[in-house]
Amino acid sequence: MSKRLDTAGATVAPPPPRPVSPTEDPPRRRRFLRPGGPPQDRIGYLFLTPWFIGMAAFTIGPILGSLYLSFTEYTLLKPPEWLGLDNYREMLEDPRLHKSLLVTFLYVFVSVPIQLILALGLALLLNRGVRGLAFYRSVYYLPSLLAGSVSIAILWRQIFGQEGLVNQLLAFFGVEGVSWVAHPDFALGTLVLLNAWTFGAPMVIFLAGLRQIPVSYYEAAQVDGAGTVNRFFHITLPMLTPIIFFNVVLQMIGAFQSFTQAFVISGGRGGPSDATLLYTLYLYERGFGSFDMGYASAMAWILLALIAALTGLNFLFAKRWVFYGN
Amino acid sequence: MSKRTRGLAALCLAGVMLAASACGGSSGGESESGAVELRFSWWGNNDRAEATQKVIDAFEAKNPGITVKGTYTDFNSYFDRLATEVAGGRAPDVITLGGAYPREYGDRGALLDLSTVGGVLKTDKIGAAALGNGKFSNVQYGVPTGVNAIALVVNPDLFDKAGVELPDEDTWSWEDFSRIAKDLAGKLPDGSFALTDPTRTDMLDIYSRQRGESLYTADGRVGITDKTLVDWWTMTLDLLKAGATPPASQTSELTTQPAPEQTLMGRGLAAMQFDWSNQITALRKASGAPLRLIRVPGESQGTRPGMWLQASQIYTINARSEHPQEAAKLVDFLVNTADAGKIVLTDRGIPANSDVRAAIEPQLSEEQQIETAFIDTLTPKAGPPLVIGPTGSADVWKILDRVNADVLFGRQQPAAAAADFIKQVGTAIG
Repeated sequence: MSKRLDTAGATVAPPPPRPVSPTEDPPRRRRFLRPGGPPQDRIGYLFLTPWFIGMAAFTIGPILGSLYLSFTEYTLLKPPEWLGLDNYREMLEDPRLHKSLLVTFLYVFVSVPIQLILALGLALLLNRGVRGLAFYRSVYYLPSLLAGSVSIAILWRQIFGQEGLVNQLLAFFGVEGVSWVAHPDFALGTLVLLNAWTFGAPMVIFLAGLRQIPVSYYEAAQVDGAGTVNRFFHITLPMLTPIIFFNVVLQMIGAFQSFTQAFVISGGRGGPSDATLLYTLYLYERGFGSFDMGYASAMAWILLALIAALTGLNFLFAKRWVFYGN
Repeated sequence: MSKRTRGLAALCLAGVMLAASACGGSSGGESESGAVELRFSWWGNNDRAEATQKVIDAFEAKNPGITVKGTYTDFNSYFDRLATEVAGGRAPDVITLGGAYPREYGDRGALLDLSTVGGVLKTDKIGAAALGNGKFSNVQYGVPTGVNAIALVVNPDLFDKAGVELPDEDTWSWEDFSRIAKDLAGKLPDGSFALTDPTRTDMLDIYSRQRGESLYTADGRVGITDKTLVDWWTMTLDLLKAGATPPASQTSELTTQPAPEQTLMGRGLAAMQFDWSNQITALRKASGAPLRLIRVPGESQGTRPGMWLQASQIYTINARSEHPQEAAKLVDFLVNTADAGKIVLTDRGIPANSDVRAAIEPQLSEEQQIETAFIDTLTPKAGPPLVIGPTGSADVWKILDRVNADVLFGRQQPAAAAADFIKQVGTAIG
């Protein structure tokens, strides 16, 4: 089973009649990892060294540093003071932290399904052999490249603000709108919408997945008299489960770390009334707004644990519904 | 080597060089010619940036060995950025601060004790009240840029349009204020408002001081009472329901846009707005209306006047600056010379240095004369100096924003909000 799960991380699951016997794979991989392998491997590692150095200096180092800081009180201006588990204890009783968790869960569990359903729907449409596929694929992929940017977040504010496009449209129908980005009932909704809008990246992956399903399956089903709906639920969906699983894991991890959009749209404060206080935003506010770098570090580690736990759960449940074709 | 591998190798090399160059580079320091380079940060709009750059040019012309690099952002992001820079040991040499921030940074050891550069930076011509705003725990950490006060900005055009008379600022009460605001609300066209939502920490200062309380006590605790906060929010809710202030969501959107040009007053959409007196120039320019400054309501009915004279901004020097003497020279130039004063004029408050103030007088524009006249008439009528908030209080405006949103959106009744606010502020400064 575990070997099967390994392949889940690959973007494209191999089609059922494997062209290459699986026993050929492992030895080659082992040879590559063995120290003192063939010279081209060493050159490969040599070329990777700048990345390794960067990884150690700018990623692993700071990560370990933040683990230490999470057990201290660190106000940025004075050296850290050891606190033990106090930061973690405070988190249990911090109402804003609990609120931020609630907001984040709501954000992730609403926006990711919407985003993936949109992605799958469009992928199915595009897979039917549209003319100019490359063009549509690029157009739909564009938001995924842009949505994380500050400029799109500012645009969002303009669209959903008091005098924004949405309200001008509503005014046309005689409805007086509110400032959607600044109303506690709707602000998070605009963020969910923004995240759902980035369906392009999972869509491209779905498209690749759809291409992998052998046409012969559909032909056979058609001969047996299966309609479009039946073909979708009995062939497409099961064959696509590894891809769906991959997208769920990836998008969930990404959504938990969303920051820029909420930061820009709420003017950096997660307002109104903490309605858009994503976990990362609160972390930032504690770290850089209130000089609680120790507490912020502890929050970062809890976020890591949370994402790891949820991803673990994802993999656990995957056994029940993900179908790898053999 | 094929073309592709050669390209790859070049890319890797570029990566290594990038990494290496990132490790070099230190804060400030000598430039190649041996000249001292200072960094100077402030917040504000483009007009302020242009004026400040002119001052920097004038300073550099007089001090050939020193170059100054100015950096600025808007108010909301200024302090986030500053905190990051200070933590990274790359803070600017001369830092503009305001409100509770000088104390916050001073107490945490980030600011230079200015007595160490007293030979370069003179403070003898600077008004004592304003100078006191830069002194904490008996150390002078900052020099005021100028004097400022919270005022009520009014738009006479909108009063005229509604046919409502401007109040008598010597005698008007909070009841008069509410009545006038509601009167305006009924007569102004759609989209215009009697006033911007008045809740801000400075207004809680004034409102509580009029009742003999204060937002913070001298020993650094919360001084405002439940009752005062409940009365305040009862009034603002009443104004909201009467349509005198914008809908809650619009108010909450406005709090994320602090620039004067984006406020309702700056856009000519509000008849009244509580704001700092030095904003008058920017607000007038943005709105194109003949805005005026008047004193806030309730000054003559309370136990004492709530308004006060405040150092509008404070120049401080980074404790870790490599060039404290040169930084002091820059601050001295900024606050003590007519050359700088004639460029900045009253943008950072009425100059606290009496000589500079006299030197710029003939040059003042109509707006700036309004501002000086306002400060002059207020000076004898102002209440006692403000008790500056303790460490941690720099965050209180954010707490107030949140609780105020709860109140305006009807999620918390004033009584619950008051208790919540006092509790949260207590935690922040505790």
